[in-house]
Amino acid sequence: MSRSNQTIDRFTSQEYKEGFVTQVAQEFVPKGLSEEIIRLISAKKDEPDWLLQFRLDAFRRWQKMTPPSWGHLHLPPIDFQDIIYYAAPKRPEDRPKEIDPALQETFDKLGIPIREREVLAGVRDKREVAVDAVFDSVSVATTFRKTLSEQGIIFCSFSEAVHEHPDLVRKYLASVVPVGDNFYAALNSDVFSDGSFCYVPKGVKCPMDLSSYFRINASGTGQFERTLIVADEGASLSYMEGCTAPMRDEHQLHAAVVEIVVEKDADVRYSTVQNWYPGDAEGRGGILNLVTKRGICRGSGSHLSWTQVETGSAVTWKYPSTILKGDFSSSEFYSVALTNNFQQADTGTKMIHLGRGTRSRIVSKGISAGRSENSYRGLVQMGPAADGARNYSQCDSLLIGSRCGAHTFPVIKGANPRATVEHEATTSKISEDQLFYLQSRGIAPEEAVALIVNGYAREVLQRLPMEFAVEAQKLLSVSLEGAVG
Amino acid sequence: MKESVPELLCMLGRDALPGPFRLEAGQALRLTLLALPGVSVDASLEVQLLGPGAELDLGGLYLCRSDERVRLSVRVRHEAGGAVSHQLLKGIVDGTARFSFDGLIYVAPDAQKTEAVQQNHSLLLSDSCQAETRPQLEIYADDVICSHGATLGHLNADEQFYMRSRGIPEEEARRLQMISFLSPVLSRLPEALQEECLAAL
Repeated sequence: MSRSNQTIDRFTSQEYKEGFVTQVAQEFVPKGLSEEIIRLISAKKDEPDWLLQFRLDAFRRWQKMTPPSWGHLHLPPIDFQDIIYYAAPKRPEDRPKEIDPALQETFDKLGIPIREREVLAGVRDKREVAVDAVFDSVSVATTFRKTLSEQGIIFCSFSEAVHEHPDLVRKYLASVVPVGDNFYAALNSDVFSDGSFCYVPKGVKCPMDLSSYFRINASGTGQFERTLIVADEGASLSYMEGCTAPMRDEHQLHAAVVEIVVEKDADVRYSTVQNWYPGDAEGRGGILNLVTKRGICRGSGSHLSWTQVETGSAVTWKYPSTILKGDFSSSEFYSVALTNNFQQADTGTKMIHLGRGTRSRIVSKGISAGRSENSYRGLVQMGPAADGARNYSQCDSLLIGSRCGAHTFPVIKGANPRATVEHEATTSKISEDQLFYLQSRGIAPEEAVALIVNGYAREVLQRLPMEFAVEAQKLLSVSLEGAVG
Repeated sequence: MKESVPELLCMLGRDALPGPFRLEAGQALRLTLLALPGVSVDASLEVQLLGPGAELDLGGLYLCRSDERVRLSVRVRHEAGGAVSHQLLKGIVDGTARFSFDGLIYVAPDAQKTEAVQQNHSLLLSDSCQAETRPQLEIYADDVICSHGATLGHLNADEQFYMRSRGIPEEEARRLQMISFLSPVLSRLPEALQEECLAAL
């Protein structure tokens, strides 16, 4: 075997570093999904009747739906009656003031700055991050709430929002992703447990980045979080999300729904670094990441930007989308998706242009290594009223090794003679010239690959908030080590 | 040196679409599809490239000026390495016409050194027309050069202004723009057909 091949192997066989399990006493609901289970979850969370009815309505719809099969994926059959839909760390009757030491340790291991004092000291002057951490089904800690609430910003767990701000939740819940939108969104609407709720009032610029960390810990469970972000007129915020899970031989289901409402002149930046457990080198286990994310630019001049770095999960099925309804609203989608071993990703975006002068830009960088499959799937649609609307999409694929697949499935629909859509896609591999150049200057092969891949993904990485960009760069080089062909 | 490349012209709606084609090593094919105004058609074409040196050069032109329904589906399968395929489809959609294009480039595992390009560009000229394009790449080999491009656009207002400010009437300016947009495919047609297409603009 050539030296470069060995490097590839080493690179692709890197271990998953977040694979530990935290031993905390947990409470579960029984396995399976039925009206009783939904009533039980709702009762555990002490929810108002309207939310229970919302769940039950969703459940009745979900029962009539079938899982989508159009993805370029080989999904293992999922037995929805074999999943525990709610797991929570046990705790005293009242919400604890202090975080359970074991949990605290978990978050320390993950490097999450959950304590205010730890927050990103020295990364940037006086720049702070408010964190919401979700452990299995419940939110365990939300920081900086006080500072934020002084400005009228609400940032809390979804369950708290249901009790403290029911009007807002009721107004916006399912306004972007309807209950029956798709199979997994309907499933989420039945059993969603926790997630983040964020509301930034009129004209307020959120002074710090908001962030959520999601962690699946318990075995045999799924995670179904629900995130709702609302930026009122002229508001702006930046939201970041990170996820990890322990190593297990079984598949675990993650079916989240994220809804974002952007009002007139508001600006939302949503960034994800997704690092769920991807399964082992033989393709056993790993998270099935089946997620619905959608935002609506409701008012004129509003702006929504999606940035995602996808390195984890056995299967990723995810299309963060924007409905550009307000005139002159704009949206961007920047994505790096890296698959290795037996990972499969079918991810992309939808840009639905309804308003006049709306603009969107899509930059997608796929990297496939090992025996993985990586697909970009997207929709750009120009409605009849989208005069002067414009879209530009660029989808590049990079293949590392000859046993992986890279695919591009865009759909472009136009119904307006004053709109412009441009799409281009290329597929290539890391060129031997580039590798030779770097190696002849004394750079080790895996470093050279990491360097080239980081350069390739740079356009997207640059869009991430700084703390995340560092993490994402590290992740890319870890997941890519030894990928020279 | 390649022998003279067989040239095929298929007038959609009049000729049955030939194929499926199987191009062996060293074989080449130059095929042009044409949908003239008034033609509604649902056509699919499959070309397999089975050996090194196989070459496909596909051109397509569609002029949908009133209420046509044109659906084109093109599948190009690179089953072996070292083959080349080029596709360029261009056209105009006007009136209440609907156009859709479904194109796939498939590169089999181990079909290394494949070169495949696919382009589909449409001009939309009216409020009631619709165009849809789905260019797809499905690639299982790493040492390849594959790309696709697709655009939906309209007649550029700056160009029009330029011509009109130099005394070219609006209708003539629009015609010139369409001719220049279509010319890469138009030039593949025999002269008599070129005249017919120009007259239809």
